[in-house]
Order: sequence, then structure tokens, then C-alpha cells
Amino acid sequence: MTETKNKETTKIDVVVTGFGGQGIVLTGRILGKAAALGDHKESTLVQSYGPESRGGACSAQVVISDNTIHYPYIKFPDILVCMSQSGYEKYIGQLKEGGELLIDQDLVRPGKEAGEIWYSIPATRMAEELGRKMMANIIMLGFFTAITKAVSLDSARNAVVGSVPKGTEEMNLKAFTKGCDYGLATLKGLEKKAAGRTGAIL
Amino acid sequence: MENINIILFVCNWGPHTAFQTLQDIRADIPPEIKMVRIPCTGRISKSLLFKSFEKGADGVMLVGCKSGACRYGSGTTTAIENIRDTRELLELVGIGKERLRLATFLPDESEALLQLLTEFTNKIQELGSSTVVPSKGQAPEFISRELLAETVSLHDVFTCQDCGKCTSACPLALIGKPFSPRAVANSVIAGDISSSVKDDIWSCLTCGLCYERCPSAVNFSEFIQDIRYLLKKSELTGHETHGGFFHSLMRTMTTPELKTDRWNWLPDDVKIDKKSKTLFFGGCAPYFDTFFRKFMDVNTCNILSDSIRLLNFFDIQPALLENERCCGHDLLWSGDKENFLKLARLNAEAINNLGIEEVITACPECYRSLGHDYAKHGVDIQFNVTHLYDFLEREIGKGAVDLKKMDRNITYQDSCRLSRFENKSDLPRKLLSRLKPDGFQEMQETASAALCCGNSAWIGCDAYSKALQVKRLMQAKSTGSELLVTSCPKCQIHLKCAMEDPFRGDDLKIETMDLASIVARSIYWE
Ligand code: SF4
Ligand code: SF4
Ligand code: SF4
Repeated sequence: MTETKNKETTKIDVVVTGFGGQGIVLTGRILGKAAALGDHKESTLVQSYGPESRGGACSAQVVISDNTIHYPYIKFPDILVCMSQSGYEKYIGQLKEGGELLIDQDLVRPGKEAGEIWYSIPATRMAEELGRKMMANIIMLGFFTAITKAVSLDSARNAVVGSVPKGTEEMNLKAFTKGCDYGLATLKGLEKKAAGRTGAIL
Repeated sequence: MENINIILFVCNWGPHTAFQTLQDIRADIPPEIKMVRIPCTGRISKSLLFKSFEKGADGVMLVGCKSGACRYGSGTTTAIENIRDTRELLELVGIGKERLRLATFLPDESEALLQLLTEFTNKIQELGSSTVVPSKGQAPEFISRELLAETVSLHDVFTCQDCGKCTSACPLALIGKPFSPRAVANSVIAGDISSSVKDDIWSCLTCGLCYERCPSAVNFSEFIQDIRYLLKKSELTGHETHGGFFHSLMRTMTTPELKTDRWNWLPDDVKIDKKSKTLFFGGCAPYFDTFFRKFMDVNTCNILSDSIRLLNFFDIQPALLENERCCGHDLLWSGDKENFLKLARLNAEAINNLGIEEVITACPECYRSLGHDYAKHGVDIQFNVTHLYDFLEREIGKGAVDLKKMDRNITYQDSCRLSRFENKSDLPRKLLSRLKPDGFQEMQETASAALCCGNSAWIGCDAYSKALQVKRLMQAKSTGSELLVTSCPKCQIHLKCAMEDPFRGDDLKIETMDLASIVARSIYWE
């Protein structure tokens, strides 16, 4: 099992946003399962749909905590995952100072309010390359796991397997791994940049 | 004192007189010295110098005329270059440069000559005998009809329908050489290996194009490989190019005690980790670069250092095989299976002993040999073999990495081993498309139908090989590209050789670079 971070902070508030049909709520559910069943923490999930659930705005609020959770609603997320521009616009103002922003780079254009650092992945495009557009959320989940380490890698994988329709486990795991690899590569890239070594020939 | 052998090549014109004087006065010429009288030092090629060591010499001295005194003008200059390069080659292969010397004397300098001979002999005595075990020559065997028939049935050549598709695809036949794989197949089936058939057997490029087209799936290249093995048992020559230098080099490396030093040129910025479970297998580039330095500007060592830089880029610091030997590809494909096996076992055992899990290589021939032919010939392999391009695709595919746009028009020369034997013609193209060049224009014949570079296994290079290379270069030029991308060090060498044609001037010249080097120059973390 991989280490989870934020040992001292016992509560992580995650908001996942996008539009209906992207599997946003499922992402939230898998995340909560991973924390609860895999990492043996407490977790809650609140889902909300916009006026028109299909194609409309949609979000999932997941609280992960070492202690009992008294209130499942999130006002100021620690981590904000955006798979649509409208979701981004709605929540970015509430992201905590020093919080982490993860976006699908083809669907979200972050503005000044996003600050200096955010993490982006072409999740939908990668899902299309896999031939399963609807797996973008699972790719995003892999990316999320690698970048934030809010849940452990093994728990997330197991939760994916336990939550997706029978027969699609393998495909979903592949998608998850893609996202996860992308996240690890992103972190490595940031490290290299910080060290001033971005190329192969020095 | 050890029993050592020293070969002394003495030029006929100047210093031989000095040597004769020593003989006349019965001077104390060290008995270890065997003198060979030669017409000119310039004619003692790198191949001859090197072969002396392969055949058991512990020291070699080339004695000629002083630079201005060469009867043919340039002999001494050539000898100086040959000695310089051969000394470097000896160093790389682990024999040691101090075992080879050049000296010049005037006819009346017999005393100085004697002094040098004594000095040199003492020096070699001090060094002791070389570790090289000369491979024993064997009496030619008769190839029986049964043996031929066995090989024919092993490769199912009987299924040949005589359709001639192979001949109409064969690049040698198309360039005008009176050569037909179909005819060769038919002759061997009929038990005829007369000298013209033999010539054809040595001419085949083993490029595999005919196999692509054959409706009966007769794997002609593999068949040729086995027939050559039979021929090699019955005759001495195998139509080697460059005086057989490369074959001699490869055979030399079969000596188990030899401690090669082929990584001595590696630049400092390249990071290696002796304890890594990933090993980078380089191939013979260092030898190529040294051998061809005089003729053309070959720099295939860059492929190796850039490949390791690419591994470093992805935080892999590979191990290297300190005592790496040739993979043996060219011995296998020129009929010398015994020595191929010796090399294969030595390499495989050394890699196994390091506990290596993955071997990465950028050379298509090493890739084919280590990944396919070693196991096929029963050599124990306890590691996976990955081509650098597969590794790169895997890592780049993970994301956060991009390649700088390339403002060049490029075309690509397929490697026959990678594109046809391994069916991986897509692989380099995926990488090429990531480069986003100004333009990527395929040549007329491409991917699994590509024309090869005109030579394989350092045998049978002739005017038709040249014509084939010229044709390929013209195809490259006519794509309008400024850069020819290659994936095999040999393609680069053979094609560059054709570019040197003095009659064509700059007609055939096109900048050439290996894909690994291009990727290394363009890749960056986003
Ligand atoms: S293509 Fe195959 S079947 Fe046709 S002649 Fe050649 S070897 Fe025979
Ligand atoms: S392997 Fe190549 S050179 Fe040899 S016969 Fe076939 S097509 Fe011709
Ligand atoms: S093409 Fe040139 S380098 Fe290649 S084998 Fe022939 S002569 Fe040698």
C-alpha cells in the first residue's frame, strides 16, 4: 500500500465537478469507497445535479477523514477536480488557499484566479484514444490518486474494480493506470523543471 | 620466459636492406620475431594488422620508410593512419595498443633497427602473451546432397511454387544483378551448389523482402543463413568486405579471457549505475567509428550516448556490460554459427550473472540477436529485451513529456531487422510523428517494403550494392527532405559510404541522423 499524505490534517475535502454523463458522481463514489474500504477512513459523499441532470452541471463532494464526519457538505474544498468550464467557474473561488486544482486540459481554461500551479491532464482525449470516451473520469481518478495521494494507490485500484460494471474491470484499470502514469510523469516533470533539467542533453 | 610471437612487417624498399644487413652479420635478432617482407607499409591494412593478433601474434611491428622516402609517395602516411586506428581498435577490444608499433628506418640504419627490435621484444615479453585464443582452422568438409536436402526441408523450400514473386521483389535483381532467389532455391533443391550458385548465396542481403512477398512463405533469408553455414564448413572465404576485418574482430571477441574496453569513450554527463537491473547493450559502434574515421564522417557512438541520455531523462541509470562483446549477428548471418554461439553464450552469461531484468538496446541487430536468435539457438536468457523505441513510446505515452517541433523536412530509412524481421515499422513512425517535423515524406518504397541499405553482415559488397545504395539515396533526395533519419548504425555507414562517390559529387549527399539522437535533442518535460 502506498503512503497517503496529509498525516497531520485529518480531513480532506474534495469537490469533483463536470457535467452529467461524465461519471462525476461515480468518481466521487469510488473515491469515498477507496478511503473507507481500502484506507479504513471515514468518508461521505454528497451529489448534486444541476437543473437538467443530463449534460447539465454536476458535482460530487467527498469528505475523507480520520475521524467521524459531522457535516458532509463542503464549502471550501482542499482539492478541486474540474472536468467542465462551468464547474470550474462555479467552484474556483472557493478553493482553499494552497489547495490543489486538477483539470481536464481540453475542457477547462483556467484563468488568473487559478493561481500559479495547477495540474492538468487531457483525460477525455486519452479516453478517446482508448476507445472509451466515458472512461475519462477513471483516467482522472488515476491522475488524482497520483497527484494528491489523498487515497492510496491500491485502495483506489480496488475501489475501481469493485465499482464499475462487470466485464469492464480490465478496461477501467487500464484507464486508471494511464491517468496514474500521467500523474506520476507530471510530478516528475515538475521536479525536473525545479532542478532546471528539462531536456535530455545538458 | 613465455613463448611469444612477434610479426614484423618490413617494407621491401628501405628498411629491408637494414634487416638484411642484420641477417648478414648474424646479429642477435630476437628469435620471437617472424619477419614478413612487404611491398609497402601502406598496403598493410587495418584488417591485416588486426588479423595478425586474431591468429595468435602477441606483438606486431610495421617497419617502413621515412615519410619523404616512400617509393609510392603516400605509403607511410597511410601506414601512420592505419596504425593509429588499429591501435585504438586494439585498445577497445582489450588487446592493448602497446602491442602494435610503427617505425621507419633508412636502409643504413641497421643498428637502430636491431635496438628497436630488441626493445620491442622485451616490452612484449614483459606484457606476456596476449589472451586471444586463435580460432582453429578446420579442414574443409564436403557438403553432401543429404545435408543440402536437410536444410531444404528444414525451411520447407519444397513448397516453392516457382512463381518468381521473390525475384521480382528482390532489390538486387531489380538493380540489374543477374541474381534470382527463385533460381537459387531451385538449384539448392536440385543439389547444385556450383560456384555461381555459391556466389549468389553469398550475395543475398538477407533483407527479407522476398519473404514478404512469397505466397508459400519460404523464409529465404533464414534458408540462406543455414546454407551459408554449410558453405562456411566447406570453404575458407565468405566474401567478406574490408578484408574480413569485422569478422576477424568478432572472432577475436570469442576469447573468454579477453577484457574488452569498449566504453572508454563515454562522455561524462552520461549516468550509469553498476547496480541497476536495467542494462543498456550498446553494440559495436565504437569499433565502427574508429574503423571508418578515415573514410567518412561516421559517428555512431552518438547513438549510444544519446540513448543512455534518453534513459537518464526518464530517471533510468542503466548498467553497462563492462566486457560487452559483439552480439554476433554478423557471424550468424555469414555462416559462422560456432563463433556466433560463443559470443552469444559469453554475453548472455555475463548479463545473467549481473541479475539483469531488462536489456535495452537501440541497435536493431543486437535487438534481433539478443531477443530472438540467442534463445532460438538454445542460449539461456534470463532477461527481457526491449528496443529503445518501445521504451520511449511507453514512457512518452505516460504524458507530461513533449518533443520540440522540428523545422526540417525529413524522410526515414527503415532497418530491415526492425521493420521486416520484427514487424515494427510503425514504431519509429510513431516517434517520428511526435517530432512534428515541417514535413515527413516517405520514400517510394517504405516500411515493410523498404529498400535496404545495400549490405548485410559485411559480406558481398559489390558494384550492385553501390547501385542499390545510390538508388535509395536518390529516393531519399527526391522526397525533398533535408534530413534522412536512420535507425540502424549500419544503414548510416553503408549509405554514407555511397554518398562519398567522387563522381557524383554532392549529388547523393544528405544529412543523416539516428532517430535516438533526434529524440534526445527534442524531448523535454512539459
Ligand atoms: S516467391 Fe516463394 S514460391 Fe515464389 S518462387 Fe520465390 S520462393 Fe518460390
Ligand atoms: S533476402 Fe533480399 S536480397 Fe536476398 S533474395 Fe530475398 S529480397 Fe533478394
Ligand atoms: S557499403 Fe561501404 S561501408 Fe558498407 S560494406 Fe560496402 S564498402 Fe563497406
